[in-house]
Amino acid sequence: MTKPTTIRLPEDLVSEIDQYVHEAKLDRSIYLREILKKGFSIDKQERVLQKYAAGELSQMEACRALKWDPWQFFEELRIRNLHLNVSLEDFLHSSELPGK
Amino acid sequence: MGKIVTDSSALILLAKCGLIEKFCDTYEIIAPKSVIMEVASEEMKKRYPDAALIAELISNEKIKEQNPEKVKLQLPVTLDQGEKDALFLAGELDGSMFATDDGKAIKAAKFFKISFIVTPRIVIELFRQNKISYQLAKLAIEKLSIIGRYTPDIIANALLTLTEEKK
Repeated sequence: MTKPTTIRLPEDLVSEIDQYVHEAKLDRSIYLREILKKGFSIDKQERVLQKYAAGELSQMEACRALKWDPWQFFEELRIRNLHLNVSLEDFLHSSELPGK
Repeated sequence: MGKIVTDSSALILLAKCGLIEKFCDTYEIIAPKSVIMEVASEEMKKRYPDAALIAELISNEKIKEQNPEKVKLQLPVTLDQGEKDALFLAGELDGSMFATDDGKAIKAAKFFKISFIVTPRIVIELFRQNKISYQLAKLAIEKLSIIGRYTPDIIANALLTLTEEKK
């Protein structure tokens, strides 16, 4: 189900899009919808990962928001050269294991 | 044998750095059902070889499934179900520890004064207790840098601590 919406775009962007869809023989509306979806998805990933890095989201909360599994999460961090939200202080304060 | 309650992040990183079997042989490892479903469901087993290894450890009862019993306490921060269950279970089991590699879950553990441990510290501890060699420990910490996405300052500190323990 799709819903119509209106947005104002810069003229040069519109002409570049029009030129591309003409050359590639694409449906303009479908193309715009797809790149909007793609752009929104990238933007959402960035926003969620920023919240994760700031400690506002846990790993699994971030996974749920992005529909990632926890294994994928580490790979996605690697691709983006991002790190875990564990601080040096957390590492230094973490306990010792009980002796067996 | 010490009891360690893990969330999904710790299980995954222990598997990825190749020490999960040694860890399970040395300690009583417990995970709530919600955590097991996150890391070792049928779908995860198909996608990730390490998920199949975790599933095998669960079926051999090297990782025991247990769920928290008490009414949930009010958390100072939000957490997902598995992280919450593991944290509460660690709080319920006397003398247990919460293994996690999530900063927000650590924040909640600190709030409830629940002992927690992160995977680089587990590696150091396994070496300190003569369960693994120095080379194996060093390799595991290096993997935690690349695959585990630990920050360079933690990795440097962990390697330094490991070297000091070797002396």
